[in-house]
Amino acid sequence: MNEFASQVPSLMQSIREGIPYFLPEIVLIATFVCVIVTDLFFPGKKSVYTLGVGIAGIAVSLFFSVLQFQALSEPLRLFHGSLTIDRVAGIFKILFSGIVLVYALFIRGNTRLQDHVKGPGDLYLLLPGVLLGLNLMAMSSGLLMIYLSIEMISIVSYLMVGYVSDSPRQSEAAMKYALFGGVCSAIMLYGISLLYAFTGTLILSNPAFMNGLSEMPQAAVAIAVILVLVGIGFKLSFVPLHFWSPDVYEGAPLPVTAFLSTGPKLAGFAILLRFLDPYYAFQANGHATVFDFMPVLSLIGISSMIVGNFAAIWQDNVKRMLAYSSIGHTGLLMMAVVVHSANGVKALIFYLMMYAIMNMAAFIFAAKIEEGSGAINISDYKGLGRKFTLEMVCFVVILMSLTGLPPLAGFIGKVLIFTAAIEQYSSTSSVWLLLLLIVAAITTVVSLFYYFKIPLNAFLRSSEKMENMTPKRDFLTYIAVVLTMLLLVWGIMPGMLV
Amino acid sequence: MSLLSILIFLPLLAGLLILIIPASARNSYKYVALAAVCIQVLISAYIYLNFNGDVYSGVDTEAKFQLVERVPWINLNLGAMGKLQIDYFLGIDGLSMPFLVLTSIVMLVALIASWEIKVNLKGYFALFLLLDTAVLGVFSALDFFLFYIFYELMLLPLYFLIGMWGGIRREYAAIKFFLYTLFGSVFMLLVIIGLYFSVTDPVTGNHTFNMLSMMDPKNYVDGSIFSALANAEFFGISARLIGFIVLFIAFAIKVPIVPLHTWLPDAHVEAPTPVSIILAGILLKIGGYGILRACVSIFPDAAVQSAWWLGLIGVISILYGALNALAQKDLKRMIAYSSVSHMGFVLLGIASVTAEGISGAMMQMISHGFLSSMLFFLVGVIYSRVHDRSIPNFRGLALIMPRYTAFIMIAFFASLGLPGFSAFIAEAFSLIGAFNSSSINGLLPRWMAVCGSIGIFLSACYFLWTLQRMFFGETRLMGGDKWKALLTDVNPRELTVLCILTSFALVLGIMPSLAFDKMNASVLELIRLVNLK
Repeated sequence: MNEFASQVPSLMQSIREGIPYFLPEIVLIATFVCVIVTDLFFPGKKSVYTLGVGIAGIAVSLFFSVLQFQALSEPLRLFHGSLTIDRVAGIFKILFSGIVLVYALFIRGNTRLQDHVKGPGDLYLLLPGVLLGLNLMAMSSGLLMIYLSIEMISIVSYLMVGYVSDSPRQSEAAMKYALFGGVCSAIMLYGISLLYAFTGTLILSNPAFMNGLSEMPQAAVAIAVILVLVGIGFKLSFVPLHFWSPDVYEGAPLPVTAFLSTGPKLAGFAILLRFLDPYYAFQANGHATVFDFMPVLSLIGISSMIVGNFAAIWQDNVKRMLAYSSIGHTGLLMMAVVVHSANGVKALIFYLMMYAIMNMAAFIFAAKIEEGSGAINISDYKGLGRKFTLEMVCFVVILMSLTGLPPLAGFIGKVLIFTAAIEQYSSTSSVWLLLLLIVAAITTVVSLFYYFKIPLNAFLRSSEKMENMTPKRDFLTYIAVVLTMLLLVWGIMPGMLV
Repeated sequence: MSLLSILIFLPLLAGLLILIIPASARNSYKYVALAAVCIQVLISAYIYLNFNGDVYSGVDTEAKFQLVERVPWINLNLGAMGKLQIDYFLGIDGLSMPFLVLTSIVMLVALIASWEIKVNLKGYFALFLLLDTAVLGVFSALDFFLFYIFYELMLLPLYFLIGMWGGIRREYAAIKFFLYTLFGSVFMLLVIIGLYFSVTDPVTGNHTFNMLSMMDPKNYVDGSIFSALANAEFFGISARLIGFIVLFIAFAIKVPIVPLHTWLPDAHVEAPTPVSIILAGILLKIGGYGILRACVSIFPDAAVQSAWWLGLIGVISILYGALNALAQKDLKRMIAYSSVSHMGFVLLGIASVTAEGISGAMMQMISHGFLSSMLFFLVGVIYSRVHDRSIPNFRGLALIMPRYTAFIMIAFFASLGLPGFSAFIAEAFSLIGAFNSSSINGLLPRWMAVCGSIGIFLSACYFLWTLQRMFFGETRLMGGDKWKALLTDVNPRELTVLCILTSFALVLGIMPSLAFDKMNASVLELIRLVNLK
């Protein structure tokens, strides 16, 4: 024990230096505690005070995140390199706060959760916790930290999915999610332990990490890397680790589904980028390739696009359809990851931002329409365009954006990804990129087919049983309308963002 | 803000106005739309009168475009690759100006035909005007990105216009149309981005979406995908040829060519009359215009290389369309197939790369714009009265609808190429071009021109046969006396439309110089560009 005693001061020093940069997260931890106390003693009607405290805390944390982002010039490594704050992590953190804020309001506006016997209080409790996990995920650059943050999100997500398990189907979804997640993180942990054994370090930015790997046989490295990718893939739900997502999306309450399809998925991409970084940097420094990600990631991307988009054609449940479509989007986003140039990352972040807005708004409208009319299947949407005009028109705009039609932001996102890929292709002439581009183009057309089943039913068909349906519009509807407007504005003037 | 921007965005503003007007004043929607379209006709007439075809020959030089408007629009800094620079870049030359006039007039006609639309007026007129904006934008845009945005923007309003106000199989027709066009245009987007990385702006040195820069081989970056010198290949085929083919297929779906035409009969038949008019009158021309503006101008070498195939596709479309028209029992379907046949002449004319051929192709597009609008309008007249348009169900209509029959005869004879009407000039020029091609540039063999003229003969067959079956002889109707009472002759509103269209077809047939003078210099400029390679 004594041999480490000399190092203790330097360890403490590093931790002390890191703390000021950790402020947004400290605020979240404090909020978490406050929310628990509030919910125990002064929950208010339908836990409204709990929500207030939670939102206030998240807003303060967001404020500090923004300050931090503006002051940031060089990447900062905190706590011995376990966490890294760079511009990408900064953007992700701001994005996550936004997603969680919308999510909180979504829970507030969802009658099913509000009227449930348990009340929404415990769900509000989880919000600062999940945001903390997401922020850590965006920043973590040590393998252990990656594992911990993924687990943190997973455990919170298990709770959310199973929060309202009224029917066996919902319990099944929650169970499936927990089991699948447990297995995936166990596999990932195994991969991490292999990597640690190969290199003797957990910190990705440590030179010893890559040097250690480059001395190992390629097959051993490949196994370890793929095992880690399994854990990340679970969060991203790419093919072949996508099986849980349609069932879970369908079984979970709508606000939770909206969150699952955005927050953890974006965080998964943040981690994936961080995990790939040292390999690409090592290669760029003229060393031999340690592990060739191109074929693996391209295959994942291609199969996700194909499986996601084609399977979505046969879905009738709106949530399942959006689940498969989000698998397809993951495939498209993998294309930007494969490119991994500065432009690729930029395109990825822009698309993720728009994707988060599109999915959040789509699920809000799906929830509002369900509340007003009871329709959960696309075939139940018949003729709803006449009664729910505002909701349906906005929904169609979002679906157009998801398809990638101009002049909406989804189109700009797609163009940026294509641009990055074609730029890379013109310098490398890699067949994988060409295949990705062609598959992306074809699946775009396929996606139109299933997205447009919604306007097809809502506007082109009519139905008799519509008398007692009235749209219930509240603040949530208008939030979603604003999000839709943002898609249009950023589609016409993307220069405002990038 | 130039005249072009006003022309493009006026309908959009009117559409927004309609969205704001409360439903209690729903009768005013069509008048708001009418006012917007009338102003649009006046503006385009002004543009036509002030257009100097000799000075503004356009095609590949910015200085030779009239009413140029160029404002930086999207500027994204992409680090190492410089800036993503997209301009709001409009301008017209002899190739695009005639289409602005055509669009305005056909839109006016379609709007008057919209008087029969009775349900969901707010949505209908708002979408109609959005479509109007998109179409005018396509014809004026000179930045490929902007062009693409307008091009795609057309799809959504059309989907709903066909899908919500169409016939029985409208759902199928609407999504089929949408999928076909999107399939072409997604791949077009990839080529556009590829071109973007291959071309730099000679002034700023940035990569650019400017179509005019893409036409000059000097602007291509050494070793880029579409550089002629680099000779890059995909799967063993030259990249430039692939680029040309992809763009060509995207536009050819719109034209349409056989075998990519199958969306057209469905869409035309299921669409309500005004939308059929717009589809046939304007949207098919976007395909032809795109081939001239983008395919041939940007990839002239590949265009010459594949001219023989283009000609062949043209001839097949002419003959296959005509034979299909001959076999149809539904009047609207017959006219839809006749469109396929007539648009084949456009392709044949373009493939010849001669002054006569391309002028003929341009003329054919304008002439077909007026004539097909007239034909679809005439079908709409019968259909709105008895909700039937099957040829065998009518006989001897001439006796009960004499004025209507007179207009049908004008439209049929004009369409089959009777001298004195615009279609005659157009088809004659296309065929002369195709015929001369073998002695001028050796691109097309003579038999293609011969086959084209067989197409004219076939069109005479199906038009005259239909005329005989439906209009001559004793009056015998499927619906008996009930139909007889319903089938009243054309009313003043219909008469106005028909007179407008007839006079345009006639004036262009007698004085084709009204159109040729404006576009001749541009056509010659285009041929010079292609021959430069």
